[in-house]
Parts: sequence; C-alpha cells; structure tokens
Amino acid sequence: MVVLEAHGLVKTVGTGRAARRLLDGVGLTVQADEVVAVLGRSGSGKSTLLHLLGGLDRPDGGTVSVAGEALVGRGSAALARVRLRHIGFVFQQFQLIEELSGLENVLLATRLPGAPRGGAQRARKLVELLGLGDVAGHLPRELSGGEQQRFALARALVNDPELVLADEPTGSLDAENGAAVLELLRSLPGRAVVIVTHEPEAAGIADRVLRLSDGRLVDAERVP
Amino acid sequence: MRAGFAALVSARQGLRRRRRRAVMTGVGIALAATMLSAAVVVAYGLGTGFTRASRAAGLPDILVRFNDTNAGQVAKRIQALPDVARYSLRLEITNVSVNFDGRGTGNAVAEVLSSPGRYDGYAVVAGRNLPDRGSDVLVERAFAAAWGIRIGDQISVPGLGAERVVGFAEGPDNVGYPLAEPRFYLSRVALDARFGREVNPQVDLAEIWLRAPQYVNEVLAQARATSFGLKNIQFVTAGGLRILIDQAAGIVIDLLVALSVIALVTAGVLLAASARAEVQRRLGAIGVRRAVGETQGQVALACGLEGLLVAVPASCVGVAVGVLVTYSPSSRLLMLLNEPPPGWGLVVPLGAAWLTGVLLPALGAAWPAWRAAGGSVVGLLRGGDVSARRGRRVGASRVGGSGLAMLGARLVGARRARLVATVVTLALSAAFVLLMLALASELRNLETDPGALGKKYQLTAVLPASAVAQVRRIPGVQAVAPRYEVEAADSFELGETIDVIAYPGNHVVFEAPPLVSGRRLRGSGEAEVGAGLADALGLSPGSVLALALPGGDELRLRVSGVVSSLDHDGRVAYVPARALLRDDPSAPEELAVVVGSSGNQAAVSAALTRLGGEPTVTEGATARGVPLVNVLRVILRAVAVVDGLVCLYALIQAVGLTVFERRRTVAVLRASGGGSGAVARVLTGAVVALVVPAALIGVALERWVFGPALSRLAENYAVLSLAAGRLEVLAVVAGLGVAGAFAVAWVTREAARESVVEGLAG
Repeated sequence: MVVLEAHGLVKTVGTGRAARRLLDGVGLTVQADEVVAVLGRSGSGKSTLLHLLGGLDRPDGGTVSVAGEALVGRGSAALARVRLRHIGFVFQQFQLIEELSGLENVLLATRLPGAPRGGAQRARKLVELLGLGDVAGHLPRELSGGEQQRFALARALVNDPELVLADEPTGSLDAENGAAVLELLRSLPGRAVVIVTHEPEAAGIADRVLRLSDGRLVDAERVP
Repeated sequence: MRAGFAALVSARQGLRRRRRRAVMTGVGIALAATMLSAAVVVAYGLGTGFTRASRAAGLPDILVRFNDTNAGQVAKRIQALPDVARYSLRLEITNVSVNFDGRGTGNAVAEVLSSPGRYDGYAVVAGRNLPDRGSDVLVERAFAAAWGIRIGDQISVPGLGAERVVGFAEGPDNVGYPLAEPRFYLSRVALDARFGREVNPQVDLAEIWLRAPQYVNEVLAQARATSFGLKNIQFVTAGGLRILIDQAAGIVIDLLVALSVIALVTAGVLLAASARAEVQRRLGAIGVRRAVGETQGQVALACGLEGLLVAVPASCVGVAVGVLVTYSPSSRLLMLLNEPPPGWGLVVPLGAAWLTGVLLPALGAAWPAWRAAGGSVVGLLRGGDVSARRGRRVGASRVGGSGLAMLGARLVGARRARLVATVVTLALSAAFVLLMLALASELRNLETDPGALGKKYQLTAVLPASAVAQVRRIPGVQAVAPRYEVEAADSFELGETIDVIAYPGNHVVFEAPPLVSGRRLRGSGEAEVGAGLADALGLSPGSVLALALPGGDELRLRVSGVVSSLDHDGRVAYVPARALLRDDPSAPEELAVVVGSSGNQAAVSAALTRLGGEPTVTEGATARGVPLVNVLRVILRAVAVVDGLVCLYALIQAVGLTVFERRRTVAVLRASGGGSGAVARVLTGAVVALVVPAALIGVALERWVFGPALSRLAENYAVLSLAAGRLEVLAVVAGLGVAGAFAVAWVTREAARESVVEGLAG
C-alpha cells in the first residue's frame, strides 16, 4: 500500500541572484512497511524535501500525498490535521519541551485537538516498549541523548501515523545510541519511514537508499 | 565619536530589521508615557491651581467681611493699620436676579468694585477689565461657561437693566458656579456715572495687601483691636482661603492625586518590564556581537541607542496623547474651582515626563545589555531559547485535558522576572480600575441616596413643632420631630458659614452621620461637628465650638464628637435644640419625617401636602456637585481607557515574548499536528497564569491597600466604603478576560503566520 507519493517537487530558496533551486522535480513513492533513506551532502536539500513531504513547507511545484490525502494547495489548518493523523516527525535535536517530563512530552501530542482517542494508553505502552519506563518522569535535561531521541520517537508514533519522517535522527547521538534508534525505526510495523541523513550508517537499515544530488533523487548505486 | 556614530548607524539598522517589534516596544513606551503625562497634567494642574490662581488674581493677604458700612469709614480703619501696602473695597450683594437667554437665577452675587482695574483680587481671563463707565460687567468664567455666555453678550439684571459682558474673571476667594453661587463683577464708578453719585457708598468687603505678608497674624490682631464700628466682622487670610477651597474640592483633588500616583507606579513598572523584555529578545544577537569582537560597552551603547531611537518618538506621542486626553477635563475641573489651567507651566513637568519616558527605556535597554554582554558568549549564543530553572524538577504529573493550557502556564512561568512584572502591572491596573468603579458607585450612592450620608428622614415639611402629633398619626410615618437649621459663622479666623442643625431629642433617629471620633452629644452644652469644620478650626472632642448666630448671639458648646458629613463640605454642627433656641428663638423650623419600611412615601407626602406642609424629598449631598463629579468621571474614564490599553499591551507583550522565545516549542507543536487552536490553548494557559494571580492581587490591593488609603484621604469629608463590590470585581475580571482573549487571538495569529520550518530552526 502506497503511503507517500510525491511527484515533480520543485523548491527554490533565496531571491534574485541568490536564488537557488534546491529541488528540481523530485519524485518519491514509499510503501507501508518500507524504510527509505535519503542521503546527501549538507545543504543538498534533504531537510527541505522532508519538510515538503510532511506538509511543513510548500513546494513551488509538484504534488505530495500522504495516506491518500493531497497536501499541496491545502490550508494550514488542513495540513495540521493531516500531520496529526498520518505523519510523525523525528528531529535531529529531539525538540523535547524543556518544562515537560519525557512522558508529558509524549502525551502532549495526544492532547492536541483532533488527536485519535486512546492516546494516553498508547503513550504509556510506547514508553514501556522503548525501555523508557524508569525515566518517564525525568525532564529532558536529566536524560541521555539516546533516551531523549527515544522519547521523541515515542512522540512521533503516539498518534499512530502511517508515515514517519526522521531528519538526521542520529545526528546528535553517539554510535551506540544512534544504532539503537535506527533499529527502532527499522522495526516499526506497518509504517512508511523516510530518513534523511548524511550518515551512510543509516543506509544499512533502509530497504531503499536514495541520494539527493543537484536537486534530484537518484538511487544511491547510480551516483558516481 | 566615530564609535558613537557607528553605534547609531548600527542601532538604526537593527531597528529597521526588527521594525515590527520596535513598533510594539514603541507602543508600550507610548502607553506608559501617556499614563505619566496624564498623571502630570492632573496632579500638577490641581496641585498648583490655587497658587496659580492667587498669583494671577493678586490675591490679598487678608479679606475682611462685615455688615454694610460706609466706604470712607472702612478706608480710615484700614489706613490706620500697620504695614498695609494697598487695599480695595467691595460691596457683595447676594440674591441678585440675573437672566440670560431664557435662563434665570435669583441668587447670583454681584461684586460691586470701588476701584476696578487696580487691586481687585480676581483675574481677567478673557476680554478686558471693567471700565470706569458704561453698562459693563465681568462674569465669572465658570458661570459664563455653564450658561453659554460669550463676551459681548448682554445679561439682564433687574434694576440695572441690560449689562454688556466685557470679560470673564476668576476669583480664587471662592469656587465657581455651580459649586457656589454665580458671580459677576461691576464697577461702582460706572454705576455712579449711570445713576448718579451715591452719597453714602456702602461696602462689606475689604481686601488688604501687606508689605510683609509674614506678619499677617500681627496685622490681624491689630485689625481686630481697631475694628470698632464694623459689625459682624470676619477675617479670612490667604492661608484660610486655601483651606476652604481645598475643602470645597478637597476630596476630588485628593482622589485624583492619589490615582495619579498609582498611574505613575504602573507606568514605571511597565517601562522597566518593556525595556528588559526588549533586551531579553536580543540575547542571541548580543552574543553574536560579542563573538565578532565588540566590547561590552559598545554592545550596551548600541542597545541603549536603539532604545533611545524608539523611545524619543514614542514618548513624544505618549506625552501628547496624555495631554490631549486629560488637559481639557482637568481644565474644566479647575474652572469649577476658579483656578486657571496650568498652560505653559506644564512644559517643565511634561518635559520631565517625556525625559523619563525616553531615558528609562534607553537606560533600561543599556543596563541589561551591559550585564548580558558581560556573560559567557557561548551562553548568549544559545540564549534564544529559554530553559527551565536549574534544579527545578517537574514530575510526571498527569497531563489532563488541560495539558496544552498547562504547558502555556509553564512556559510563561519560566521567565520569573517577566511574570512578576506583568502580574504586578496587571494587578495594579486592575486595582486602579476597581478603585475607580468603587468610587463611581460611592459617588452615585452619595448623590442619590440620602441614607448614605446618615440622613434617615425621607421628607421634610414646613410645619410648626405643634404639628408633630398630627403628622405622627399619618399612616406610614415612623418618626417625626422638629428640625431647626440656621447658618452661623465661626468666631475665629475663617469667616466661613456653618450649618447648625438641631433636634429637640436624639438626632440620631433622624440624622446619624458616621462618627469619626469622640461620642454622640448628650447634654445641652455639647455639639457634634462635621469633619470639615473640625479640620478648618482645629476642633476635636473636648474643644470649644464658638458659633456666631444670625441674631448676633454667640453659642458656645463643647465638642463631644466629630462626624463625617458631606453636607456643606462637612462644615456642620449638630447641637441640642434647647441650646440653639435659647440663643436664637426665631431659628427656622421644619418637620423631619421618617417613613417606615412598610410606609408609602408618596402617600405620606400627599398627606403632608393636605396639612399644608409643602413636603420636600431629602436629597443627597452632592446634588450641586454633579458637574464636578461629571468632570471627575470624564477624567477617570480617560485614565481607565489608557489603563485598559496598558493591560492589553502588557498581556500581548508577555505572551508574544513567550511565543517568540519558545518558537521551537510552538513549531514542534505545529509539526506534530497542532493547528491554531492548539497554539491558542497554550497561549490561553499562559494568559490565565498571568491574569488569575493579577486579578486576585488586584482585588486584594484594592480592598486592603488602595481602598482604605483613599478612604483615609477622604475621611475628613466622608466615610467612603471603597471596597469594590461583586459587580465591580466581575466587571474587572471580565475586562481582563476580554483583554486576555484579545491577546491570545492576536499572538496566535502572529504565531500561525510564521513558517513551522523557521520555528524549528529557532
């Protein structure tokens, strides 16, 4: 089942002489249960692509649909609803809220207006499943990087999305914790996962590895 | 020099980049400057009004009132006094009829001046002074304004004919119309020219200017000793006049000055919070400046200059708005007090207010910048996002349905200093508005409810004491007694009339003004005096009150207690009827009638009419002061509007800054699928965290600090219960709620405009 479908994505940043076309007709299709890794140099447009796929940014051209819902041309409220129901984000810097404990960070996503029911139960299950039960009440600054990223992953998954978008999920972690997080991303059942990273290790867990080069996505093997 | 110029250029560039935020800061400074200048206009205008009026009018050092006496005889007495620089004589004719444009009064006062244009004791504020001949008059400015009289109009004075108004005058020896009787001035020389020279010109008022005013007491003693031939003589000094005028408008002036002080405190808190918040916003930029090699001083200078560039125009606008909003109503108030508006005299205090509005934000921006720039550069570079306080641990508390709102409360609570500043500003503003509402309600009460003044009788009837039994038989009448009231003078220095009220029995059944000190009168040799009289004459329980009765006898009574009464500005005395009638058997009497709770006032009134009693319904004390109260309301309303805007700004600023600093948090929320509604819920939590404590503190402040303080200020005139009622509290809480809702809507809209991606980048 196709979860994510993107065609002809174009995105230009900057204006005038500084204008630069980051994405030049990118297309991508991801099935459920599939993990796709997008590699690329720093500044190649990986994060921009992820933002477009998640409806956080709007493309200059092209289309994106997630779980059958088109993102392009929709208002910000509609995009927020799609993200709430179908998309989970994992960020490099974890982006946990300092004042909330790990569990509260996970629960917060379930308290958003329109969130699926049963979120609190799922949150606790996820926290246990990810081995965070003992530190659920700790503030982010009291947690290790790996624990923080696992809480961030739990937050991304708590509303049971079909698509998980991970932006450099291991960028702030040591090798051991990074590997653990990648393994968790690999083991998510029934979900489509897109990981953008510049670390080749992430490619090891992916079903498919793509490389973003000159604004286009190509199979990693075909890049010279 | 070059560094300063570079800093100025850099400051200008910084402001251009942050135009929107600079405008918000400017709005805050402008609001604070508005409050500051409004306070200055009101406090300075009223506080210095009498001095200004005295100077403009050339107020004499001594005013002497006496029964009509030959002018030559009076002149001889004055010339015999030591140290007299000059003097002026006047005849004050009361109960004069005046008509103009369909309006008329029978109780105007005509001031007939012996030598106008020299030393008059009044100021000509428009038009010209009285000429030596012709049918010209000067009209008191407040009277002219109330009746719409313009220069060149003609007023009709029966017996004199049509008199042309050539100017408007203000005499600081009394308050203006309608607080006092309407006054107009005319020249005796002009009257003589029209009607022939009077053989025996009479005068009843002398104004005396001394060479050395500090010896006024010695001159007064001499004047008393040599005043034989003058009857009913009363001396009033300039100092005594000040007391009288202050009493006439005392409560209003005290209240306004007190309110202005509160406004000043609020403005100070707001300015400081605004300046600090602005630097707080720019911690990251300060870190970059330090990182590229700028010194601590250069950073502080640049921030101070930025603050200055915003504050200069904002403070100008604020001061101008404050003046526009309050100058006109406070001038009207001054006019009622016969005092000129401050005019150019305001330039210096307003300049000081402007400078405060400029320097405070500039220094407030430079100082925290200086402190911040002295810290770790790395810490500053990370300083864009606030972190929770060290050592504070938030447990895994249940995040219930209010999870988002709770997050908002936690976010706003992370900035403890700003939270406190905002809560203080809101609390002061809430307390201030509550106080005004309580005051307005109390004034309305005093105006409409005689009971609030301690008057328990609802009707008076012009019937003799012998009719008491007859009236008592009227169904619904609970109590009835003869009530005597005469206008006496004190035998000492002020020469002000005193309302002497007497009942044959216990007056508390009919009039029970609140007792301020001492006890109720018991024997026939005792009296209760109003607080205004006690204040003017320095009376207290145990003192002797000496009253000069209209018949010429003196009534001496021991003061048993001081009561609070707004009647006649508190210059009243309750005495036993036996004592009054002994010295003044012809004291006018009427019957005071208390209608029982089950009685029908209209039916009792009709029954009294059938008895020929011409019943009158008892009124509140401030009926004549309605224009004054109305002016006060205009001023209070204007200040309240500014105060409300300050609340709104403080809320928007606090919530907006929280969103700005925690833009990553907001962006994560939005990336997780939270729309505007989720952001609004977070912000609602933040607003509730600010508004709820502010409302509680505001109510407590008003109830236990401001209200009692203001009541103490006013206790010489009345016992004012200035504790806000349920309705007032509800109104203020609702107002804060509306301001909070507006702040949430505004900041949510602003937050939703930012791209989620930019927010995630911090």
